[in-house]
Amino acid sequence: MRRIAIVPRALGVLALIGLLTAPVWAAGHPYVLHMLVLSCIVSIAAVGLNLMLGYGGLVSLGHMGFAGLGAYVAAVLMVDARWGFWSALGTAAIASAIAGALIGLICFRFRGHFFMIVTLAFGLLLHAVMNNWDDVTRGAAGLPGVPRPAAWRWGDTVISFGQLPNFYYLALAITLAVFALQYVVVRSDLGRVLGSIRQDERLARARGVNVIVFKTVVFALGSALAGVSGVLQVSFLRVAAPASFNMLESINTVLVVIVGGAGFLVGPAVGALLYVTLPEALRLANEWRLVIFGGLLVIMMLFAPQGIAGLAYTLWQRITGDRSAR
Amino acid sequence: MGEALLEQVINGLMMGSLYVLVALGMVLIYGVMHVVNFAHGVLFTLGGYVGVFCYQHLAPSYPLALLLSIASLAVLGLAIERLVFHPLDGNLRNQVIASLGLILFLENLIIAVWGATALQWKVASTEHLVSIGSLQFSAHHLGIIVITLALVAVLGVFLKYSRFGTAIRATSQSREAAIVVGIPVRRVQRSSFAIGCMLAGLGGGLVGPLFLVFPQMGDVPLVKGLAGILLGGMGSVPGAVVGGMLLGVTESVSTLFLPTDYRDSIAFMVMVLILLFRPQGLFGQRIRGED
Amino acid sequence: MSVLEIRGLHKAYGGIQALDDADFVIESPGLYGLIGPNGAGKTTLFDVVAGTVQADSGSVRFGGQDITGWPSHRRALGGISRSFQECRVLPEESCLDNVLFAAQPKGLAACMWQAFTRNNAHRRRVTDEAMRLLGLVRLQGHAHTPAAQLSFGQKRLLELVSVFMSSPRLLLLDEPASGVNPALLEVLSDFICTMYAEEARAFLIVEHNMEFIMALASDIIVMHQGKVLERGSPQAVQASPRVLEAYLG
Repeated sequence: MRRIAIVPRALGVLALIGLLTAPVWAAGHPYVLHMLVLSCIVSIAAVGLNLMLGYGGLVSLGHMGFAGLGAYVAAVLMVDARWGFWSALGTAAIASAIAGALIGLICFRFRGHFFMIVTLAFGLLLHAVMNNWDDVTRGAAGLPGVPRPAAWRWGDTVISFGQLPNFYYLALAITLAVFALQYVVVRSDLGRVLGSIRQDERLARARGVNVIVFKTVVFALGSALAGVSGVLQVSFLRVAAPASFNMLESINTVLVVIVGGAGFLVGPAVGALLYVTLPEALRLANEWRLVIFGGLLVIMMLFAPQGIAGLAYTLWQRITGDRSAR
Repeated sequence: MGEALLEQVINGLMMGSLYVLVALGMVLIYGVMHVVNFAHGVLFTLGGYVGVFCYQHLAPSYPLALLLSIASLAVLGLAIERLVFHPLDGNLRNQVIASLGLILFLENLIIAVWGATALQWKVASTEHLVSIGSLQFSAHHLGIIVITLALVAVLGVFLKYSRFGTAIRATSQSREAAIVVGIPVRRVQRSSFAIGCMLAGLGGGLVGPLFLVFPQMGDVPLVKGLAGILLGGMGSVPGAVVGGMLLGVTESVSTLFLPTDYRDSIAFMVMVLILLFRPQGLFGQRIRGED
Repeated sequence: MSVLEIRGLHKAYGGIQALDDADFVIESPGLYGLIGPNGAGKTTLFDVVAGTVQADSGSVRFGGQDITGWPSHRRALGGISRSFQECRVLPEESCLDNVLFAAQPKGLAACMWQAFTRNNAHRRRVTDEAMRLLGLVRLQGHAHTPAAQLSFGQKRLLELVSVFMSSPRLLLLDEPASGVNPALLEVLSDFICTMYAEEARAFLIVEHNMEFIMALASDIIVMHQGKVLERGSPQAVQASPRVLEAYLG
């Protein structure tokens, strides 16, 4: 039974207020909003992987393949077929979910290393399709001209998503919905079944869990979220490029989830914010960001595999003398 | 047609040799430590960088550059084993994630130190041409094949007939039994890891002059190495050799019928197909349940 | 309608015949012991009944139904519950959560419905019963302790409580006494007797601890070399020369 005490709750509310008012306090610095949008995008994919890896125990090394799948489905629908953003988003999410379910079913026959390797292989395959199917995806050069969502109008008010603050609120709203979904899934019978599969699959089966079905569901859900993240990304940047969805990006997503704290609700948010904003905060050149993160990942595996959220939680338990289970 | 085929076969053997070097290193480490070192690709890259650095800043001697590259990779390998893999022994997920962290750390360190643009490494053997029939190959091309095959032979003899080689084989079959019999398992693990890294470094040093030396040059060989050991059978040394060569030749020959864009995808397809239809590969035993 | 019917089970692992025409029937609820020397096939039999392993031939009938082809989770949902020789609990969950998990619905639709309606009524209802059972094994004070922090004996007791939560008709207990210190052994056997007295179910208990099983069970099945060697009351089995020879020979 996980209980949220007063102080963390207060911090959460403060953070939320901060996020909701960002365009106000960051008024003269558009790059702050830009980075917050990127953090939102990264965190959505990270929530998907957190559900798979942190709660379901499925270490997928091909996550960005599904982000790319969703991204390109939406991009092609919006650019070539002139679909609107929302129908493209919905279709992309469903496509990624179906791909996740099918590919997951193939991957679940394997354990340990083999599972990781086969997910890596599928991630590579998906990337290869994006990179080489020139007719549809425009290949390595990328697919430009991906539009922002159409403006909302009523009466004389026009909200154009070409403007950063407006797109920021859109991204934030979707992100909050995604985190709410994560909460709903995790703190429920569904989440408890996933946790049992992660902790002891054989025991779960002996207690009546149809493991394959649940793994498929979480893989499909995680992949759908990756797809949503991809769509948001290509709409924001106005271009879809295969390089955003390659093996290294999949590894970066694993980094975000693990450093943030796998199996914790706030883990993806912490990891994503750190990943996007740390270089700015430390005024570092971009190359060193990943050097530090890579090193951080190694050090965390050695000394704090539960990630930052996990460390905070342990610290909190020490302070309050609470020895109960998470 | 026959000539084009021969040309591609020899190309394939050369690329296959590089895959074999990566695959052999990975299979040695896997056999003894039961972990796939995903950072192997970036170690391959480092081999290239150390080599070109030595060649351009110390002495323009290619053999020396290769030697220094191998030596430094051995040292690095020992450090990584001692500091990262050994402490995480028993926890597969964390070892794999740590190796992913190593990829990011090392690859981006290379970019930060040497820059993101590719380096050229001009070495005499790439200019020197050798004729096979009416085809011409650079001595370097053929040298890679010869060196790799020689190394495979030496390694094979070492593993089969030497005392330490037998210790390595015993440890990879059963660590517990090896401990009981008195084999110095830690020394075996450290050495196997170091040898694996040396092989990767050699691969990087050999391929550097052929194409270019750039930070991502190990990413593709990592995947090819993985495909090679899957094809050959995880844990099987002869499998890694056969798998790597087979993959290299298949890829090169495929360029005769398929657009070259798809050449790399062959490795991915191989991985998926092997895992689906014959997960133990060509020579491996039934996959031990890694539950 | 019998509780459990094992007919002609054969199972070979490589060259070893683990089950060689194993055959017996459990007619009614009760406490049944399953003993035999090492290699007799007891664990294999459990695995086949529980559905972890498929027999090469033969059939398993439960409550009159042929469950031979059923996967293990389906058998668990159908009323067969098992504990493990090596003792398995969910290490990160508290004792209470472990027990509640054993009781919660496992179907995908039910779980998704619960997730979206946030309905905790079932969980609250089961909590009282869970705490009562934890009390019977003296673990109520550890209700919120992560299972990983328990001693091995305590984990055994927790696992034992968990197996009852799905209202099973057949309980397969695999060496429940092994690794448990004598003080807790009494708690363990008292608990089994209490649960049997509250509701008559069939217990099939594999054990090597003869004192424990002979005192607990009323009907002992002896296996040897993959088949049933002897069956009878504890006194009869202990006096049987064939059983003695199987253990010593």
